Amino acid sequence: MVSVINTVDTSHEDMIHDAQMDYYGTRLATCSSDRTVKIFDVRNGGQILVADLRGHEGPVWQVAWAHPMFGNILASCSYDRKVIIWKEDNGSWDKMYEYTGHESSVNSVCWGPYEFGLILACGSSDGAISLLTFTGDQQWDVKKISNAHTIGCNAVSWAPAVVPGSLIDQPSGQKPNYVKRFVSGGCDNLVKLWKEEDGQWKEDQKLEAHSDWVRDVGWAPSIGLPTSTIASCSQDGRVFIWTCDDPAGNTWTPELLHKFNDVVWHVSWSITGNILAVSGGDNKVTLWKESMDGRWACISDVSKGQGAVSTITDTQQTEQ
Amino acid sequence: MEEVDVEPAITNIPAASAGTHLGFAWGPGDILVYETLYKASGAIGSGCPCIHEVRKDEDIYSPILRKLFNESHHIFVGLQTIGEDLPSKNKKPQFVSISKNYRSVIRACMEELQQVVSILLAIELIWNLCEVLFIDAAPAGSLLLHLLDWVRLHKADVDEKAREVLQSESPAEHHDYWNVVVSYVLQGRLEEARQMLVKQATLQPAARSMYKLMDTLLSKMPFYNPGGTQTLTEFDVKWRHWHEEVDRCLQDNSFASNKHLEVICKILVGDEDTLLEHKDLLSTWYHFLVTRLLFCHPTVKPTELHYYAQSCLTMFLDSRSVPEPLDSILLAAFEFDIHQVIKDCSIALNNWWFVAHLTDLLDHCKLLQSHNLHFGSNLREFLLLEYASGLFTHHSLWQLAVDYFDHCPEFGRVYLELQIERVPLDTERKALKVLRICEQRQMSEQVRSICKIMAMRALRNNRLGSALSWSIRAKDAAFATLISEKFLQDYCARGTFSDLDLIDNLGPAMLLSDRLTFLGKYREFHKLYGEKRSGEAAKLLLSLMTAKIAPRSFWMTLLTDALPLLEQKEVIFSADQTHELMFCLEELTSLNTTDEDTELTKVELLRLALARNLARAIVKEGTVEA
Repeated sequence: MVSVINTVDTSHEDMIHDAQMDYYGTRLATCSSDRTVKIFDVRNGGQILVADLRGHEGPVWQVAWAHPMFGNILASCSYDRKVIIWKEDNGSWDKMYEYTGHESSVNSVCWGPYEFGLILACGSSDGAISLLTFTGDQQWDVKKISNAHTIGCNAVSWAPAVVPGSLIDQPSGQKPNYVKRFVSGGCDNLVKLWKEEDGQWKEDQKLEAHSDWVRDVGWAPSIGLPTSTIASCSQDGRVFIWTCDDPAGNTWTPELLHKFNDVVWHVSWSITGNILAVSGGDNKVTLWKESMDGRWACISDVSKGQGAVSTITDTQQTEQ
Repeated sequence: MEEVDVEPAITNIPAASAGTHLGFAWGPGDILVYETLYKASGAIGSGCPCIHEVRKDEDIYSPILRKLFNESHHIFVGLQTIGEDLPSKNKKPQFVSISKNYRSVIRACMEELQQVVSILLAIELIWNLCEVLFIDAAPAGSLLLHLLDWVRLHKADVDEKAREVLQSESPAEHHDYWNVVVSYVLQGRLEEARQMLVKQATLQPAARSMYKLMDTLLSKMPFYNPGGTQTLTEFDVKWRHWHEEVDRCLQDNSFASNKHLEVICKILVGDEDTLLEHKDLLSTWYHFLVTRLLFCHPTVKPTELHYYAQSCLTMFLDSRSVPEPLDSILLAAFEFDIHQVIKDCSIALNNWWFVAHLTDLLDHCKLLQSHNLHFGSNLREFLLLEYASGLFTHHSLWQLAVDYFDHCPEFGRVYLELQIERVPLDTERKALKVLRICEQRQMSEQVRSICKIMAMRALRNNRLGSALSWSIRAKDAAFATLISEKFLQDYCARGTFSDLDLIDNLGPAMLLSDRLTFLGKYREFHKLYGEKRSGEAAKLLLSLMTAKIAPRSFWMTLLTDALPLLEQKEVIFSADQTHELMFCLEELTSLNTTDEDTELTKVELLRLALARNLARAIVKEGTVEA
């Protein structure tokens, strides 16, 4: 059902930790333990190295592209406790800003919806989450949530800009109800929701279901329904889908997508939010889709190498 | 619990070493996969430096299928707007006609590309059957006739063989002669069979009476005429009489001496074993089914079809062979299980084109509801969304997808909003195209986003005029201010304006931002000055400061601009106006204590000029015209 159509040789000298396509699928950014971030032009099946960015002093964990309306901007975070924001000007890439406010490895970066301008959330092993907002003229405003997760924060993901359901009630022409919200996952086994109120960030919800470190979280794109959906995965091998139907955002119901046999490291939603990709220690990437009556089914398996492990056939198991 | 009927397909990624994990990321259309190592405390060790792009195997990238998509798009849009004003009984012929249109598009593509033909043949076969059974919904009597047409259409090799035989020297002695005759009979093409038999008859004068008998039998076989006055019951009676007559000939051993004619007679009477002996000529179980119905039960009712279909399939396939996906799909159609047909097609085919369009048509015929599907019209939308989303990743087909999303009432709009932002805006023309689509649908957020992106891009390439017009279109005040500043800086540096056309024709857009308004008015001042309309120019210049349209930082430039007006022979600024100018100058100098010589000189110059002008103005205004 899926095939490899192109292979890009990045020439990274060490393990690759993240790869991200830009908004249009024309550029690819990769980062590695070799401390570099590379950018390739991948139009029409090609692979031209556009930039080799050096500035980190340790393995680089994640990269994230900002919305194209701000120009070509890429954020990277690393074991060296730094977050670097790179920008392309007149064809060459340079450091736009370097943030060194964390005391430990920065594990995850995620740009907020463009409606809020340029705002970056960073999660770190020092347990804190920083929010960097571009205020113009090379200035960045920093807000820090200390002790967001004890031991460390592993992942951050932004909610879509519009409060779900609010579009339905608004008369047309009025500006929609914007609320800044994001979700984080940490070493305290918790998934936490954060909301900005009167310029301050507050913990909005605490979602408990995992029995081990939460490795990744993903807030699904909004398709106009009053439902919000979040996916979380953990070292306990479980992936949960959290849904909230009320516009106030108070009751979140977890549904177990699947219990895998190994640590689940990464979850990610497709653009329209109808497919969830899950990657785990069992060398596979599985794609999951919600069917018409609200159940989740595995639709595809992308597996490493020959001799793939047996397929996933049951889609839902009640928690043992 | 929802059961998945088919195991998920596994795709293997070539990889180097064991003990590593598979990392991934979503691209707009593809998935990126790479080898990595997830570890709680950080991973060390080298891995394969390759990143693989993975994409769904959708056949949308073939150029011929692109023709299919383009043509079917027209048909789709036409269907959505079909006679809302027509009463439903008049709609069926239109639906049938639309169904035929889709099929002709498939056939047109088939003619152009051989590779994909087998898939297209299968698709057309299935669609044709669905049209016969579901859309045209022929009742007993006509049903068999339509099924006969269906089989004949998809078994073209008979005509080829016949041509070959007829073109040979002695057709009746050709080795394929009897195969052709039997094939004609199996397809109910009795006229043609008779014509072929004549050739044989002339060669065997001794057996003339036998051939005459066969000819009579063949000519007398009743065929139901839907448009005629005969009722189905009457036809049935007639048919039975004929059937008995044929049977009598068989019992009488009338054809015993000619094994070929005997075979034909057995076929006419519907003998199953004889039919099965000709599997190679029938070649498919559904041909067998239709032939069997033709000679056993021509008044078959739609509801009876599935009994015959199942048994024919079983009889035709020997115990070793397994039914193929196509067989299950056709069987499901004969069972009138539309849901199953759609489901099986979705699994068997590699792209959503077929199920999306067929389901849409069936939905319009109100067939999905009447079959009590779980999801009602949501199934239609679900499939259309899948199909259209697939189109969106293509650099030119995405435009077709827009119409499909438009006709998905529940999620179409939001899907379009999410997808259209991902269309690369390579050229201004493309950006305008995308923009037009968004503006037509009042997608204001997307409009703003696109204009902002284009404005940014123009600014980076120093095309200020373009950047300004994009930010006006985006109604982005902040950006407009930024660009106006750049224009003004440009002016201060070079002494001229760029993009005069744009600034001169701003119109009401000028009000978007204060700075923009100032830019527009300032340019207006220059124009007035250039046209020697000094009085108006002077008035405008003054108002720019007094009405606080001009930023304070620009006042010095404005006052300097006033100098030539002050130095003219004619008095332009009135006494009051001069007072106001002086006031502005004082306001400016009291705030900025600057020691720069040039600044001070300028200030002095201005003060002098203003004072002189004041004097002249007072004199002029005090003078009584003699």
